[in-house]
Amino acid sequence: MKRTYKVSPKKIGLRTWSKQFEKISTETISRYRYYNNGEWGIYLSPPATFMVYGMRELKRLKFDNSFEALRMWGFVFNETERLFRAKQIGKKVIATMGDLGVVPILVMSFPECVPFYPECLWWTPFFKESTELLDTASKLGVPEATCFSRAVVAAFHKKAYFPKPDLIIASTGASCDDYSCVMQTVEDMGYEVFWAEIPYRKSPEFFLNKPKPQILEKTKEGFVYPKILEEHLIREYKRIWQALFKLTGVNNPHRLVDTIKKINTLRRLVMGIKRMNEEAPIAPIPALELMVIEFGNLYGYADFDEWLEIVEMIYHLVKDRVAKGIGVLKKDAIPIAWVTPSADPYLLNLVEECGCRVVTTEYVINQALVQIEEDIEPLRALARAFINASLIGSTEERIKKIKEKIVKKQVKGVLITNMLGASHCAMETRLIEKLLSDVPILSIDVPAPFGITQQIKTRLEAFVEAMR
Amino acid sequence: MKDILTPRERFGMLVIDEKPDRCPVIPLITSHAATVAGIKLKRYYTNGERMAKAQITAFEIYQHDAISIFSEVGLIAEAMGSEFNYPDDDLPVLKKPALLNGLHDKIIIPNPRKSKRLPVYLEAIKYAYRSVGDIVPILAYIPAPFTTGMHLLPPEKFLIETLKRPDGIKIILDTILDVTKEFCFEVINAGALPIIVDPLASGSVISPAIYKDVAMIYEQKLIDYLHRFDFDVILHICGDTSPLLEYFLQTSADLISLDRVNMLKALDKLSHKIRLIGNFDTTTLLLSNPEEIHKTAGMMVEQLKFARKGYIVSTGCEVPIKTPRENVMAFIKAGKEKGWYWV
Amino acid sequence: MELIGYTCSYIPVEILSATGLKPYRLLHGEITLSQQGEQHLRVDACPLIKSNLGFILKNQKNFACIIGSTGCDMARRWIEIVKSTTNIPVYIFNNPRTDNFEIYSAEIDELVSELEQFFHRRFDKSLIQKECEKWEGIRQRLIAIDGRRRANPSAISTTTFHKIMNFYHQGRLEEIPYQIPDEISYKPRIFLLGSPVSYESAPFIELIEQRLRICGDFNCGLSRGIHIKILEKSIEGLKKAYFYQPGCIFKRPNIGYYEWVEKEIKATKSTGIIAFVLDYCDNFDFEIHRMEKRFSLPILKLKSDFSFQNMSQMKIRIDAFIDVLASYRGGIV
Ligand code: SF4
Ligand code: SF4
Repeated sequence: MKRTYKVSPKKIGLRTWSKQFEKISTETISRYRYYNNGEWGIYLSPPATFMVYGMRELKRLKFDNSFEALRMWGFVFNETERLFRAKQIGKKVIATMGDLGVVPILVMSFPECVPFYPECLWWTPFFKESTELLDTASKLGVPEATCFSRAVVAAFHKKAYFPKPDLIIASTGASCDDYSCVMQTVEDMGYEVFWAEIPYRKSPEFFLNKPKPQILEKTKEGFVYPKILEEHLIREYKRIWQALFKLTGVNNPHRLVDTIKKINTLRRLVMGIKRMNEEAPIAPIPALELMVIEFGNLYGYADFDEWLEIVEMIYHLVKDRVAKGIGVLKKDAIPIAWVTPSADPYLLNLVEECGCRVVTTEYVINQALVQIEEDIEPLRALARAFINASLIGSTEERIKKIKEKIVKKQVKGVLITNMLGASHCAMETRLIEKLLSDVPILSIDVPAPFGITQQIKTRLEAFVEAMR
Repeated sequence: MKDILTPRERFGMLVIDEKPDRCPVIPLITSHAATVAGIKLKRYYTNGERMAKAQITAFEIYQHDAISIFSEVGLIAEAMGSEFNYPDDDLPVLKKPALLNGLHDKIIIPNPRKSKRLPVYLEAIKYAYRSVGDIVPILAYIPAPFTTGMHLLPPEKFLIETLKRPDGIKIILDTILDVTKEFCFEVINAGALPIIVDPLASGSVISPAIYKDVAMIYEQKLIDYLHRFDFDVILHICGDTSPLLEYFLQTSADLISLDRVNMLKALDKLSHKIRLIGNFDTTTLLLSNPEEIHKTAGMMVEQLKFARKGYIVSTGCEVPIKTPRENVMAFIKAGKEKGWYWV
Repeated sequence: MELIGYTCSYIPVEILSATGLKPYRLLHGEITLSQQGEQHLRVDACPLIKSNLGFILKNQKNFACIIGSTGCDMARRWIEIVKSTTNIPVYIFNNPRTDNFEIYSAEIDELVSELEQFFHRRFDKSLIQKECEKWEGIRQRLIAIDGRRRANPSAISTTTFHKIMNFYHQGRLEEIPYQIPDEISYKPRIFLLGSPVSYESAPFIELIEQRLRICGDFNCGLSRGIHIKILEKSIEGLKKAYFYQPGCIFKRPNIGYYEWVEKEIKATKSTGIIAFVLDYCDNFDFEIHRMEKRFSLPILKLKSDFSFQNMSQMKIRIDAFIDVLASYRGGIV
């Protein structure tokens, strides 16, 4: 893909982006559009545009200065509009909640169906540096000592962040309580919810007896699980499929095969980017952009094809930078692992400013990086890929990969971001600290929007010192 | 009905062709904010923080749907060399246009962050954005090149020159356009959405031909610039613009703020493409009583709220500085009540 | 080692008891235990979870194994902490979270086979039948006692009922008394909901009952378990009885919970509700607002970390609640 201008990689602020944006031709701007609509589908604009529309944190964030990253941000920040537009042009908008990355694949296999994750709204209060959504959630009776995902309740109430979904598929079980409660609250607000169950992935150590090998199976990532789990998941996927069939009147399993192929392409690219980022001597892309890419992997920000192109473009950018030995951080930046995504994007900037680089992440979505088998029955393939999910098993399994990287000295410290009151954080953090105690660990409670204090900065600096 | 959305959320829905909880209600509360805040006008337009604070005070009292950073349209012309008097209790008055003696006089290419009162605006925007920008849009009124031109030369002279020396005027307007764009750039990066105001391009001042051949061209160019950022551009022209209605479609503005026109006509001609803003009579607002205002404004809103591309309840022009608070409140109340969409 | 620990109402006691051990439900809640638990958990873990950990750390030797459950996120992760801090063999039981019976059914089959193998015992038909009869018999007695608590006027206090239920939950069935003297009360009738009251919660219940009478509850630390009705005394019968018991608040959707509670509130002629919510127990905290809408009775929400240090403050709030009961117009107190 032709790029419009060349710049050497660095992280730049919003104003510099606006200046740089002036060099981009109007033709280029009008080339990038979602749903291929030239009237409202154009999305290439600098961060300043979104800042003017209320994303206040963009004023202090630093971004990758590539055209590719600009395209990505423009696309991502347009998601709310995109969802409304989708509905305006007759697509079906389907909220997939709490499923950790698998239901969108089913949804995308139905014509004109667009999946989205309301939970992605948990970033909004931070991007806006606003407690509006959280305050509204409190007014609606949501307790305050819970994960920031409670913003979703306010979004459903306000109806201004996404259109009324044609279907809400909510998955509950071995995921997280905070969000399960959020989903229940949404149902109580009068939305019709289709519930699906995610059973727990029980590893052999949680059996009383050594399980017989014939009842067990192992994922490619090395998680051992009782085979029956696949059957449970497949049964749930069939129910979801039926619900989508009922909604659309279409029942074409071949489309699922095709969707899986596309998903695999995206996953390969993202995996490739992550791997290059991990192995390159200089970080080729900032942690913030990488996080956005990782999350996009789940559903493509409501226009999968366009997203795939964007990621492909970024893949080539990263490859190019790695080949040239250039990047966005200093060579001596200390490699760390990040556990649980930070609700506040600014923290990712800050960590880099303090001299770290994020090489490994456990954002509870790593299952979305796994290749889905293409040579077996598709629903089973989905189940087998999903079983790698971090949240559905034990903490020890969740951080297994990080442990390996510590042993190999690829990671020199671990940063855990917690949400005060979030059910899994309360239980996991101490255990993670114990299990990964070979390297310095910093565990931070992500404060409310615009709440990052000098104290947090000081703790980060001390963490960096400890690693040096 | 109790508001469900913040002004920001409401405006956000409007510009993507969705019906918010109710119509946004944005009377053009500009220098009137100084009256509300109880400060001298001169303080308002010479001190950014004061301007922002006055606007925020007005917002807190009125609970309308946007903050309007504005005092008068001479702003850019002043930065380019025109001289203004600053009366204590009135808006700046043009004392000496930069091109008083003709097109060969010198104009200044200003630094948008430093020259004259441009930084006052930027300061006001930054302050307002920091304080309330998460819940309410910050609008910065930017004089269109034509209106600025009319402040660089004595207005009659400017009009004559457009006919006599169109090339000379074009050079001036091109320069103004560049300066205006640069200022817009700063405004945007400070956090405000520029809204283009071109009061002197009104049908009450110029002919449709001059509008079409001169004023509109520069509105278009400025709008194009802002469209590159993917902004939803508001164009405001006060006075009687009835003869210009057809042209507004060509400006490619996304929202048009109208004053003395028959809104039913505008509804018919424009509302399929442009969102309408307007157009309560500001003399009535100043002189009438709250009951009457509530009633008439309510009728207006009921007529216009179903405009195809959406509608913002507003005044036709700036809320007069000394308008009694109760009147403004009555207007806003009517807008909120009658502009409700959701069931 | 005489105990088999368990954590949830969806784990059939009959099956646990078939091992020959006493099923001991982990329902500890007390501040010093909780603080011990905090050595391994963050402060924002639920106090019940922390206390249970504190208790287990002190009493490891009494437990042959623990059957944990995925009831709530904290409960399920608690077992991992037990595993990493003790030598007690643990097992995780997958709780039902939706109306999907198949998952539950498979889980019970697996639990049975695990226990059989671990304890070298066959859970044959007659053993299961015997266990069902034993526990059903006990539950019948408890239902009768509960009936007296629910009567109008209420003849047994929840303070007493709680002591009795503790025997049930700790597997000390022989200690459940046959004779319980009347404690007739005409105090305002209250229904208790919320996070489980713990074995150590007696002072809290007594405090409430100084001026009110709790005449019914839907609480895992009190009467929740006695509403199980086994129609068919076999493993299959147990599955159905436990799966279709009055719905848990964690179930999605949890409408069953509301329907049951609504019915019970009417049946017990309660005039108010006390919702006991442990700190960081999202599952109940999220629901309080909805309860208020649904039940249209005054609700007093009492938050607790099991320290009951704020007893005097609680007393004031209970006193105020009594005034509200007299003149209720809506809202959470
Ligand atoms: S961050 Fe954790 S608690 Fe919050 S929604 Fe995600 S998984 Fe749940
Ligand atoms: S009291 Fe609440 S948080 Fe604690 S274990 Fe029970 S449901 Fe979970």
